[in-house]
Amino acid sequence: MTEKKLPQEEQGQDISRRDFLGLAGAVAGAVTLASVAGVHKSQASEHAPEEGGHRWGMLIDINLCIGCKYCTYACQAVNNLDDDMIYNVVTLETTTSGDTYYLSRNCMHCEDAPCVHVCPVGATYHRPDGIVTMDYDLCIGCRYCQVACPYDARVFNWREHDGVSCRVPAFGTPEVDPRPRGVMEKCTFCQHRIDAGLERGLTPGVDLSATPACVVACPTGARVFGDLNDPESPISKSLTENEVIIRLREELGTEPKVFYVPPQNI
Amino acid sequence: MQNTIVVPKFRIGSRRFDVFPLWIALLIAGLVFGAFGGYEVFRYGLQVTGLNNHVTWGLWIIVDLSSIALGGSAFVFGVMVYLLRLKRFEKVGRLAVLLGFLGYSTAGLVLLFDLGQPLRFWHPVVFWQHHSLLWEITMCVVLYLNVLIAELIPIIFEHPVFAEHPLMERFPILRKTSDVLLQFAHWLHKLGPLWAILGLTLSILHQASLGATYGMLTGRGIPFDPTAPVLFIISAMGGGTALLFLLSIFVFRVMRPGLVDDKTLYDVAKLAGGILLLWVYIRMWDWAVVNYYSVQQTITTQTELLDKIAPFSTSFWIGQILLGTVAGFVLLYAGRIKNWKVLGTTAVLPVILIVILRWDYNFSGLVASFSWDPFTPTIWLHSYTPTWQEWAVATGVISYWLLGFSLAARFLPFQSTMHSEHE
Repeated sequence: MTEKKLPQEEQGQDISRRDFLGLAGAVAGAVTLASVAGVHKSQASEHAPEEGGHRWGMLIDINLCIGCKYCTYACQAVNNLDDDMIYNVVTLETTTSGDTYYLSRNCMHCEDAPCVHVCPVGATYHRPDGIVTMDYDLCIGCRYCQVACPYDARVFNWREHDGVSCRVPAFGTPEVDPRPRGVMEKCTFCQHRIDAGLERGLTPGVDLSATPACVVACPTGARVFGDLNDPESPISKSLTENEVIIRLREELGTEPKVFYVPPQNI
Repeated sequence: MQNTIVVPKFRIGSRRFDVFPLWIALLIAGLVFGAFGGYEVFRYGLQVTGLNNHVTWGLWIIVDLSSIALGGSAFVFGVMVYLLRLKRFEKVGRLAVLLGFLGYSTAGLVLLFDLGQPLRFWHPVVFWQHHSLLWEITMCVVLYLNVLIAELIPIIFEHPVFAEHPLMERFPILRKTSDVLLQFAHWLHKLGPLWAILGLTLSILHQASLGATYGMLTGRGIPFDPTAPVLFIISAMGGGTALLFLLSIFVFRVMRPGLVDDKTLYDVAKLAGGILLLWVYIRMWDWAVVNYYSVQQTITTQTELLDKIAPFSTSFWIGQILLGTVAGFVLLYAGRIKNWKVLGTTAVLPVILIVILRWDYNFSGLVASFSWDPFTPTIWLHSYTPTWQEWAVATGVISYWLLGFSLAARFLPFQSTMHSEHE
């Protein structure tokens, strides 16, 4: 098990030249941001890709998850996925004390994403806002990203998809273009909602139509989404409020942007 | 220098007959079977395979990795003939080039079926992502395949049909075309040292990267291994040379007696044996580092679980260490043993070793994968059974390899009439 207090307090001991340059850039960006916009320094990411840019993240409170899988179903409806294609997996797990809990898991949108490193054609890439996304027109379907992903977050499109997801319309309606057979797919944090929302002046994580479908569908509010660079965003506040935050398989150094509030009786 | 090709004949009773046509017919049947499987794959996609989101690389990847490794003698003998100027290996080196070409083209062929989007096979060549090992491997394999073609063309044009044929007298255009082609082949032959340098560079790069493809999988447990690149290079050199020795017995000793002397063939065996023993030495250190000097409970658990469903540890101790050691010593002492049946049989062992090594690297981390539970992490076992379509495609591409080799063994002279400046 790996535990941490807050993401901004746990930066590593070993700093490579790349990390140093990234850190220097981030500090410069953070100072500028703090002086211009009054943003608290601690919220600025060392990996912030551009000054003042967004950096989207998600927090899942395991204590609030009831395993209803509404997040799974909403994701399938919005992305128009077949029943056996799941971006958002909910599993029943066990704590060290033997208590069970539901672990809801989508793409971690890692800062140092193995799937981005291994893709031979650059079909999987980081957007400037940190979202790990796909260019489905480039993907050759080699599935190396699936082999490399430590979270089993990548899903292959094994068959031609015709028709609509069985989760439509109960959990939503398709919002993205269909993908061809034989490409790798993944959770994109509902980037289409974020982009469209920002264009309309909405705030992802606050305004529902600009927020990932899984977050909106969660009946217990276990999922919180927002801009990690914005101290006033719901996720930044949640990260500050919760004393213990964990990330999955943190020892691998992938720096996931999906955070978890662990069960109280670990 | 011998020019005659002796066709081995099988004897049933007092009758002796040439089984070559039957053998070719069998291989064509294999190709047809492969075509059926290939059609299903292209028509319906990878859903017809036994692959799934957990075990996403299967039988075809093993064929791919193994055929590339078994073509490893091409760069080894390119260096020996053109850079170290060991001219007595030239004819054996020509067979090595053929094996290299067949191995790499087989790999390309099988990968075409393994891609979810086969029509986008050219994307890595155009859309560069130079951080990716797979991109580097693709580029190296594509370039090296071209190098092998450049090396193979002069060998094919050694065939007398390109120099003299009755139709050439009747159609002068054929004569002119033949002259141009022969000149081109001669020019390519003269560039032998260049191809050797390119072959060595590209081979070392991608053979290592094939190991690193698995070696860098931090989240997969067993395959995460910094030694993997070295193990892949050396096993390709040793196994590829062992296969070359095995087929050299057939091509030179049986079919072209006198073309290559026995001492040269023994030296090929010795080289394979020496490399294999080096491989066993490094592999043992690799095992010791993982299992003795830095024991990780997760890897121990992963091994135990794999042992429950498959002879995983047995495949290491017997399939890799024992086979490698036995084959290494027998081949190393080929000059003393001088028993072609024993030596030929032994040379099969490294080929099996190559396949087992790649099989284990591929499947260990995929079949026994780690869960993400942060509190009580476990290892999940997944299953994979190849479907008939996968076996069909594998049979098809292996038939292609065998067909290419069989035709070459039967018809190519494997001796040079081209004299270049380096000779």
